[in-house]
Amino acid sequence: MATELVRMENINKFFGRVQALNNVNFTVYENEIVGLLGDNGAGKSTLIKILSGAVLQSSGKIYIRGQEVDIDNTTDAIKHGIETIYQDSALVTQLSIARNLFLGREPLKGPGFLQWMDQDKMNVEASRLMREVGITKNIPPTTPISALSGGERQAVAIARAMYFDSDLIILDEPTNNLGVEETHGVLRFVRNARDSGHSCIFIAHNIHHVFQVVDRIVVLRRGEVVADDIDPKQYTVQEVEEVITGMRVM
Amino acid sequence: MVANPSQADFDKPKRESVPIDSPSTLQKLIGRREFGPLVLLIVEIVAFSLLSTTFLSTGNLSNLLAFTPEMGMMALGMTMLITAGEFDLSVGSVFGLAPIIMWTLFNQEVMSLEAAFFVALGMSVLIGFFNGWFVTKLKIPSFLVTLGMMMVARGTALYITDGFPQRTWRADSALTEIIVGDFYIGEFRVYASLLWFILFAVVLGFLLTQSRFGNWIQAAGGNSSAAHARGVRVNRTKIMLFILTAVLAAYAGITSSIRVSAANPNSGTGYELEVIAMVVIGGTALMGGYGTIIGTIIGVFILRMMRNGIVMIGIPGLAYNIFIGAIILGMMALHSWLERRHHSGT
Repeated sequence: MATELVRMENINKFFGRVQALNNVNFTVYENEIVGLLGDNGAGKSTLIKILSGAVLQSSGKIYIRGQEVDIDNTTDAIKHGIETIYQDSALVTQLSIARNLFLGREPLKGPGFLQWMDQDKMNVEASRLMREVGITKNIPPTTPISALSGGERQAVAIARAMYFDSDLIILDEPTNNLGVEETHGVLRFVRNARDSGHSCIFIAHNIHHVFQVVDRIVVLRRGEVVADDIDPKQYTVQEVEEVITGMRVM
Repeated sequence: MVANPSQADFDKPKRESVPIDSPSTLQKLIGRREFGPLVLLIVEIVAFSLLSTTFLSTGNLSNLLAFTPEMGMMALGMTMLITAGEFDLSVGSVFGLAPIIMWTLFNQEVMSLEAAFFVALGMSVLIGFFNGWFVTKLKIPSFLVTLGMMMVARGTALYITDGFPQRTWRADSALTEIIVGDFYIGEFRVYASLLWFILFAVVLGFLLTQSRFGNWIQAAGGNSSAAHARGVRVNRTKIMLFILTAVLAAYAGITSSIRVSAANPNSGTGYELEVIAMVVIGGTALMGGYGTIIGTIIGVFILRMMRNGIVMIGIPGLAYNIFIGAIILGMMALHSWLERRHHSGT
């Protein structure tokens, strides 16, 4: 059986009187891509925000590799190896690909107090990473993010998560506003990430994209988990849609 | 083997070959944000030297270079701060207050000139720290914080002196020689302040483009929440830059007071906006995320030469602001046009 990576236990979240999450149990195993599905307001983004430190749960516990952890903010989450990739928001668009990849962890060279960034190393590593994540086009690592397409930006964010050994990469609507080819690119990046030993949570409105890439589907409905082990190879898109809308019970 | 591309192919240098649409060196130069300001500076020099026979004379040039470093130092600090997404309206007041503190302490025989110099710089560190602390910890916009500090600093200078200039001629110290002593290269009179300005520009240029701190400055100005999530100490970076800006303004004010042999409590009034204009004309983004020291140096010269040149060709000095305003509007239009063209091309 696969080893457990992250386990969220009895998670409740209230916004005032509204209960967004009701006793949610959610587990991600090592080396898998989990698709998190649910209609608008089902609670999937609240659940993800709790895991990435953007929102605090009202009650419930989070375990990483069996150890209970507190995730109070995004920095905590990153420290625990959880990286969330929202469209755009995690990158500094004015800075180059290489500078974004190494932001906050820049390799240095030079003597003691007078140290500068090892930009050669950053550029070489950035080129290698962009190929590894699956970018086939030759984009110089000194290109600013603002000159990249939406899919390429996702690639940079995924590459950064992979390079700094995030165990869990959360992708929130990574294929929104992307063209067909770009979407295929992003799905390829996600598979590459799993194949090199990372787990992913994949959230997308487009259920077809989810079906193409995930190993397992979890469905939330009105703040509760209604299915947590759907194998996309054994069910059709329509059947899963019925679970999401509550027409089918699993 | 040959037909089947393998991992080894990735490592071949030819993979790194230049993409088909790679811009030439000339295109790269034109694409830089400093290019527009540089063209303007050259046009300005050519125009003034054609219209005035004395514009390029040694006398006028050394005169120009005497005052330029003082504004320039303030602009260097402001460049770093604006790149980080903040700005400082109190630099003009600190420029006025620091020499008042130094000369008052010295003239009242409280301490030696050297000690007074460090007390004045220490006070500017405090001012910068307060600015930074208010902006980052209390989350008050830098416009309001530094507007308040501008009034506090100016008011302090006026209160201490009763509005009268402090005398400075009694000092005959090695310190004044180091800061702004002059020497001649041929007929060309050079002040030490020019050398200090060049040194500061090189150090800060290196810091901004080559160091980790520089990467953090740009990230803080570009997307501070993303930078913070990556572990960048955004607040500390900004506080340090507020301190840097205040210290450079104080140093520039002290330099000026020694050079003109007067510490006037009103000196530096209005400099803050001129300094911000120099920085922005040079290509630094007012909203942060991108800054250029070379551009700022060009911007400093554009405005200083304009002030000097219009007088040389006989336009009343009072018309100066018309030209400055026109330059700011023109350069902003150019930068915005280049930006849109750049984005539509990708």
